[in-house]
Amino acid sequence: MSAAPAVLPAIRITALGKRFGADGPLVLDDVTLSIQPGEFVCLLGASGCGKSTLLNIIAGLDAPSTGTVTVASGSAAVMFQDAALFPWLTAGRNVELALKLRGVPRDKRRGKALELLDVVNLADAASKRPHELSGGMRQRVALARSLAQDRKVLLMDEPFAALDAITRDLLHEELERVWRETGRTIVFVTHNVREAARLGQRVLLMSSRPGRIANEWRLADDGPRRIESPEVSRLSIEITEQLRREIRRNAA
Amino acid sequence: MPPDTTTVAPQSVAPSGAPASGRPADDLRTLESGLDALQAVPSTEKGSVRRILEGVLPPVLLLAGLVAVWQLYVVIARPRPDLVPGPLDVLGALGTAWADGRLQLAVLTSLERGGVGFLIAVAIGTPLGLLLAEWRPLRLALGPLLSGLQVLPSVAWVPAAIIWFGLSDATVYFVVLMGAVPSIANGLVSGIDQVPPQLRRVGTVLGAGRIQLATLVVLPAALPGYFSGLKQGWAFSWRSLMAAEIIAMGGTIGFGLGSMLQQSRELADLGSVLATILLILGVGILVELAVFAPIERRLLRRRGLTPGGIR
Repeated sequence: MSAAPAVLPAIRITALGKRFGADGPLVLDDVTLSIQPGEFVCLLGASGCGKSTLLNIIAGLDAPSTGTVTVASGSAAVMFQDAALFPWLTAGRNVELALKLRGVPRDKRRGKALELLDVVNLADAASKRPHELSGGMRQRVALARSLAQDRKVLLMDEPFAALDAITRDLLHEELERVWRETGRTIVFVTHNVREAARLGQRVLLMSSRPGRIANEWRLADDGPRRIESPEVSRLSIEITEQLRREIRRNAA
Repeated sequence: MPPDTTTVAPQSVAPSGAPASGRPADDLRTLESGLDALQAVPSTEKGSVRRILEGVLPPVLLLAGLVAVWQLYVVIARPRPDLVPGPLDVLGALGTAWADGRLQLAVLTSLERGGVGFLIAVAIGTPLGLLLAEWRPLRLALGPLLSGLQVLPSVAWVPAAIIWFGLSDATVYFVVLMGAVPSIANGLVSGIDQVPPQLRRVGTVLGAGRIQLATLVVLPAALPGYFSGLKQGWAFSWRSLMAAEIIAMGGTIGFGLGSMLQQSRELADLGSVLATILLILGVGILVELAVFAPIERRLLRRRGLTPGGIR
């Protein structure tokens, strides 16, 4: 073992490559990345840049073709674009199931689930079934469920993409608050430039075909930002410029 | 010449009624609660009295209308009573059968056989369906055969069953099983096939092992498909049972509704024949209404799927 750095990265990705099938197109090429504990990283890119594939590999749902991925805490919690709640269970039971699979004893689950639902301001909706909840509420239950896993790393795959703008704005605030309170490491995949600039401490822009990390921006974290604030706008303009350059490259 | 950012990300222009300065967490909570209240779906659940009224009244009215037309035809056209008995003749036949105890005996015998046969079919069809859904080689080999068996009328097995098992209850059960098992197994297979892959992925992400994934995620998710397989399995059981009882009579086979039907035909008693047909139909409807419909309604309503049609 070489001398460990002061803080071990929460996620370390080295020379990662991914192909689907033996001679399929290269989806990810030589991605090297390390993410510090407690960091909020946004992965941004156009369709087909492999950002969801990268997330799935980190989550262990897909295997890399080359290179390695190490998640220091062992495994990660994942949130998807659709809440994917189990429709036969109430909101509370959905969270309880995650607790059960984590090995929390039966008599502690109920109270713990209510606590977690209260974190996303949904304690009153514990007995509701997913179809009785709005899209935003479902995503909040999904957030509570992934918090129930109690993993240090939370991976999010465009979790707010299907929501209306007002709801999304509120969920940005909610997520930021949860992140500050729980100190989780968050990797947030999105195709929405402003969303990335609003949320991330670090924004990674990915190029398409093959997916590579094209550029990286670090944002000074001086408290909660608003999506309308000038710094978010300024950064969005800059990122969009480069995103468009990357997309134009595919025209030829 | 930076591009207009609102064109780049128009959906980001999210208005918000709260003040621009830093908002405390409580403010976010009330804001969220307000939005939740706005987006809440109002419950459109009907009262049970109203539901029963809406479900029961139309078919009862139609039935009464049909019987009235029938009676009217008998009174006006005066057809030969041995060819077209009136509603009252059929009712009389039912009364006679009740009085000498044949009706109760036949209904109980058939229901018991149908029920036991169906339960055996569930016990065989469920593990078979699970194996088919999870083990690909078996599915490739047995799948088409099982679908074929579902199409084959199970009456076709009656002659073979009589030769193998003689005139005994085994013959009846064999025919019932050949009718019901394929439906139940296929229902479970299609139920499992229709489980959204996303739910399996969530299960894996939440840390479920193979067994936990099957029992906590896949099977509950496949329940609606499995249940419609069970319903169809019951229908096949009941039909096969009647066919078997009509063809195979005597021996140690007890007296069921099919036997009663065949007996009435041999006596050329059309009133009793029609009465027995109505009984067979009635038992089928009763089982559907009393057993399957309530379970199905609960199952689907809990998942936010409205049952097709009114029951």
